[in-house]
Amino acid sequence: MPGTRLARWAAAVPMAALALATIYPLVFTANVAMKTRRDYVLDRFSPAASPRWDNLAEAWAGAGMARYFVNSFVVVACAVALLLLLGSMAGFALARLRFRGSSVIFLGCLAGLFVPFQVIMVPLTRVMADTGLVDTYPGLILAYVAQFLPFTVFLMTSHYRTIPAEIVDAARIDGNTVYGVYRRIMLPLGAPALLSVGILDALFCWNDVLIALLMMPSPEHRTLMIGVNALRGQYSDDIPTFASGILIAAVPVLMIYLFLQRQIADGVTAGSTKG
Amino acid sequence: MRAERLAPYVLVAPAVLIIVALRLWPLALGVNFSFTGDGDLNGTPVGLGNYLELAADPLFRVSLRNVGLLVLLLPVAVAIPGLLATFIYLRVPGHRVYRSVYFFPAVLSPVIVGAIFNLLLGYDGPLNSLLAAFGAGPVDWLGDPGIAMFTVTGVHIWATFGMALVVFLAGFSTLDATLLDAARVDGASLARTIWHVIIPSLTRTIQFVFVTTMIGMLTSMFGLLFVMTSGGPEGSTYLPEYYIWHQQGQMNRPALASAASTVLFVVMLVVGLLQITLLRRTGRQD
Repeated sequence: MPGTRLARWAAAVPMAALALATIYPLVFTANVAMKTRRDYVLDRFSPAASPRWDNLAEAWAGAGMARYFVNSFVVVACAVALLLLLGSMAGFALARLRFRGSSVIFLGCLAGLFVPFQVIMVPLTRVMADTGLVDTYPGLILAYVAQFLPFTVFLMTSHYRTIPAEIVDAARIDGNTVYGVYRRIMLPLGAPALLSVGILDALFCWNDVLIALLMMPSPEHRTLMIGVNALRGQYSDDIPTFASGILIAAVPVLMIYLFLQRQIADGVTAGSTKG
Repeated sequence: MRAERLAPYVLVAPAVLIIVALRLWPLALGVNFSFTGDGDLNGTPVGLGNYLELAADPLFRVSLRNVGLLVLLLPVAVAIPGLLATFIYLRVPGHRVYRSVYFFPAVLSPVIVGAIFNLLLGYDGPLNSLLAAFGAGPVDWLGDPGIAMFTVTGVHIWATFGMALVVFLAGFSTLDATLLDAARVDGASLARTIWHVIIPSLTRTIQFVFVTTMIGMLTSMFGLLFVMTSGGPEGSTYLPEYYIWHQQGQMNRPALASAASTVLFVVMLVVGLLQITLLRRTGRQD
């Protein structure tokens, strides 16, 4: 059975191979990014002779990646701030306040969770175009908020349900208004959930392709992911520079992963255990 | 006091407004829109015209066939993380490392994943040179209409199995350890332990992973398709989401695209409900 030492080691071998296959593509890309064009053509696998940072500089400056970074950063920061604010407000009310229609509202938010973007992208683009929001920062921010709000509300509601109702009642008796309870009690108590939902929302927005493609058609409004894809045409015969671009775009997410891995996993699993 | 009574509504109002206006309302709008025409017929009702055109369009048929392929591959996409999670739960040597390593591609954007695999899978790329070293290949991973869809799906699974793995591990943490000990005392084999103890205890988790993996396959492969194949070669890697995007943005056929959206929505509902019923039934038999 599972306990035998041999069986465990027998499973460890393919698992280690798979772990290697998971890491290798990125290592390969990082290595290519450090090579000269000539080295890459001659031998793709050998470690770069001496790390060349020129490729990174070329990709950064030549492709104007700074602009894409700023675009992505502004949009993601605003979208996540709004998502957390609206999500925690609604989550608090749905979890801990008694009011007429609350269960219908909660079901409505859940229904939003089951409407994939692909299904509404045509009418949504049209609504955005009619209101003049296409190709503007507020338009993309709003599209992201709409996309990830049902998920955020759902997770914040289930988090706030774990906070005892007595805390809310006690704060009310102490003379706090409902808004006071939200600001002084629920917002601080929601911090762990806000952190993991916020990271997850940020990752979703940062990594998105389709919504950005539809909402931000002009080149100067490209988000980082759309911009990186555009590098492909620009450096089709200069793979090391292209690889550098990929690497630059991957670094922020890798950093977040290294430091906040547990919070990301918490966010992913919250839906499965509480649903 | 009146302000206090209104407070809950004030708190939920912004979220409700956004969800209704930008998710639920567009759904109704889109279904309605799918029964009208494009171009000169813009706004005029055409009945089932768009749906008939879809049924006759070879590209859309390919995209539906590919959905069928994905549904067939779904058990594989669920079994891989499930099995890996089992081994990690059983504390295979190095289990702590595996968990973080396997999860890592899940945080990368499809654009980055797709671009990296474009490098690795090119006809004169590294994977083929590796195969050549063993005397095999070369394989035209992204250029052969019979292979490309499998390649892209494989890359998607590579990029996302960590998500399902983490969900499985969370499920395992709720597992009753005494059951496993009992199996060990009885001398049950690993396969029997998985089949008789682990799977029945994790029905809910497995159900959740099945449904979310399917939703992921049907709605988050756009980025990979966009970067890796653009629907080619010969339209062999079309999926409904790519078809919708192509008809709306490239061909200027928004009403036709809306009809495709509606079909996708119905397909997802049907497959999702079917899965849940099926899994419930097998769960009850145990």
